[in-house]
Amino acid sequence: MYGSLLDALPAVLSLGNFAAVVIGVIAGICIGALPGLSATMAISVLIPFTFGMDPLVALGMMAGIYNGAMYGGSIPAVLLRIPGTPAAVATSFDGYPMAQQGKGGYALQVSVVSSAIGGIASAIVLMLLAPPLAKVTLLFGPSEVFWVAVFGLSAIVFLLGGDILKGLMSACFGVFVSLVGLDSISGYDRYTFGHLELLDGINIVVLLVGLYAMPPAIALLEEIVDLDTSMSGKLNTVSLWKAIPSMLKYWKTWLRSSIIGIFVGILPGAGGSMAAFLSYNEARRASSNPDDWGKGEPEGVAASETSNNADTASALIPALTLGIPGTAVAAVMLGGLLIHGLQPGPMLFRDNPDIVFGFMWQFLFAAILLIVLGGALATNSFAQVLRLPRPLLGAFIIALVLVGVYSINGRMFDVYLMLGFGLVGYFMDKLKFPLPPVVLGLILGGFAEQNLRLALRIGGGDWTALASSTTSKVIIALILLVVLTPLFKRIFRPKRSLTSAS
Amino acid sequence: MKQQLLSLSLVAFASTSLLVGASLAQADYPEKTINLVVGYSAGGGTDVMARTVAKYVEEQLGEGATVVVKNMPGAGGQIGFSAIASAEPDGYTIGTMNLPAAMALTYDRDADYDVDSFTWLANVVSDPNTLVVPKGSDIHSLEELIEHARNSPGKVPVGLSSLGGNDHFSAIQFAEAADVELNYVPFNGAAQARSALMGGHVAMGTMAFSQTVGFEEELRVLAVLSDERLPQAPDVPTAKELGFDIEMGSFRGLAAPAGLPDDIRADLVSALESMATDPAFLSDMARQGNPLSFSYGDDYQALAEAQDEAARRTWEETPWK
Repeated sequence: MYGSLLDALPAVLSLGNFAAVVIGVIAGICIGALPGLSATMAISVLIPFTFGMDPLVALGMMAGIYNGAMYGGSIPAVLLRIPGTPAAVATSFDGYPMAQQGKGGYALQVSVVSSAIGGIASAIVLMLLAPPLAKVTLLFGPSEVFWVAVFGLSAIVFLLGGDILKGLMSACFGVFVSLVGLDSISGYDRYTFGHLELLDGINIVVLLVGLYAMPPAIALLEEIVDLDTSMSGKLNTVSLWKAIPSMLKYWKTWLRSSIIGIFVGILPGAGGSMAAFLSYNEARRASSNPDDWGKGEPEGVAASETSNNADTASALIPALTLGIPGTAVAAVMLGGLLIHGLQPGPMLFRDNPDIVFGFMWQFLFAAILLIVLGGALATNSFAQVLRLPRPLLGAFIIALVLVGVYSINGRMFDVYLMLGFGLVGYFMDKLKFPLPPVVLGLILGGFAEQNLRLALRIGGGDWTALASSTTSKVIIALILLVVLTPLFKRIFRPKRSLTSAS
Repeated sequence: MKQQLLSLSLVAFASTSLLVGASLAQADYPEKTINLVVGYSAGGGTDVMARTVAKYVEEQLGEGATVVVKNMPGAGGQIGFSAIASAEPDGYTIGTMNLPAAMALTYDRDADYDVDSFTWLANVVSDPNTLVVPKGSDIHSLEELIEHARNSPGKVPVGLSSLGGNDHFSAIQFAEAADVELNYVPFNGAAQARSALMGGHVAMGTMAFSQTVGFEEELRVLAVLSDERLPQAPDVPTAKELGFDIEMGSFRGLAAPAGLPDDIRADLVSALESMATDPAFLSDMARQGNPLSFSYGDDYQALAEAQDEAARRTWEETPWK
């Protein structure tokens, strides 16, 4: 198998195929950086055009777009607190405060280096370990996936913000949005009010753009100075290569977040946003100064960005070997493979090694290219955009968002829905309701619900079936460990302080 | 210039012949872009079929014809099916139809179309369902499967790609024919159902045959629900041979809105007929793993009506919601 990995290399390095990756990365960064446009959408738009292309050219562009967009999403997240893609929500927690403190350039440098590291780790795992990891995917049936979702939901405690009641209300709103649509298990419509457009549920991009992009864009139009772009206009004082040594202290976070990202990638149906939330949460838990998080801690940016890129290539492991995409983007990419007659499954590796292994190399190159293209070119040029007069910038964002949301399914319904969420987001912003719990509730709420019900259905309504497999037991033990450790610490701390006082 | 001269002389020739009316009608269509509506997103199985058909049928429709695939995903294909049914029957909107799924949607919810809302053009793909267990399972034959189901009535979980589709109908028909009770578990798509089966989280599946291709080392197909054994898997018996009269599969083909003028219908059907004999088309379709089965015009309409009837009967006898 490793022999065919090397055999696939020359074709990848040919001019046309390599150029495709470069173009893909640049396009991906731009698409990710524009609020409302996501990698999923970009690749679905690209797919029809790839029909007549050479497979490696088409796949190289997709690999580039995927990696580029995962980093590009962090640019507006840092500079404007508008996540360019769903996976960049966690990046904005510390990235935006950094930008407000005049460290936006450094935040973007941390982001690009972390993205590249996550992407490289993921690509290497995809190249070397795809078949054994596919067996891990098979261990995760509905009950196991349910517990992973519960584990993710435990992160919500950290995202609630100062006012716990408001935080919980936000989370419940997110879970409510996840309920909308056809319930795939009973076949009944929930909260669709007879609209066919709502049967498939609400696309996360519609919610995200409404909540996150509309309020700041309106604030820009209102010319209120609370959205501070004057600082983020001045970006890089140090070149990327000089900045890298100061980041090496994040190696633990890079390692931990890469592992989390890769793991979430191989789970069926999870995605980059879940990876970023989980890894932000774990990095914060492990940090010696958890109270500084959310106020401009560069390690928070590193955690989120490493894992949302570490999720890219690994999401292709279940996609290529089993035909189940780990993320929405991987699902669209499967379509790209299918168009070229490449059927996912174990046979793919035997029948088309040149293309499959070539595709993996392209993921690796795309991740490496991120440092060069993302660091030098994109970051600075996007910072220039922020020097636009504010009303112009606000109008520009709103126009982009309208086009982006329309193009998801090509219908106005989604645009109206997005504007509705924009209104909700505007008032949430004014009334100081935290937004992250909404996103987490939407992503994990529906995920947990569907898998819980499937698991119970399989077990014939028996709740003990949820904990019957070894995998489930291991995850439950992990959840208990994570939830109970702080409790024990709190119980034992007074004793310790007493003894030290005496 | 040369082409213009050629077409001028052709027109001159045609006008002197008795076939004037017929040949002009054929030369008129198509005079603009034909939209091919697909009710699923770009890159899915139906979309790939549509794009392949679009490419080859363009050639058959003659010089200058363009067929553009238009994806209208949502509501399990319903948005696309409704768009085809409600389009102008002028031959410039056609679309892909999936049977029995498209017809099942008219029973379990409100749909603004039925089997008579379409001019049925041609069926292209026929993908029979199977009865399948994981390779590691103790069950080696249909008999053992039935015995296993009898020993724990209502408990054997069957992985389905969704409710109300051909996977589901296959499971219902099998349960009836074998007189057993099964536990239906609808997953979110065929690939997830297959992985749950491979991981042993469900005991059996009814996935389409094409879903098992490439997974021969992980899955054991006990029977195929087609009329005859498949050339791709000559060792797998049909359920009929084993004494269970069940036939189920998914059919993908092309339809236009009802009321399509006869001459345009004839043009489209004959273009599709010639496409079906094009070796390049056949090899592209085979590469995508599609089991082909062509039927045209009235035959296809009969197929659609039969599928509609099967969906209606299943809905009345065992409603799934």
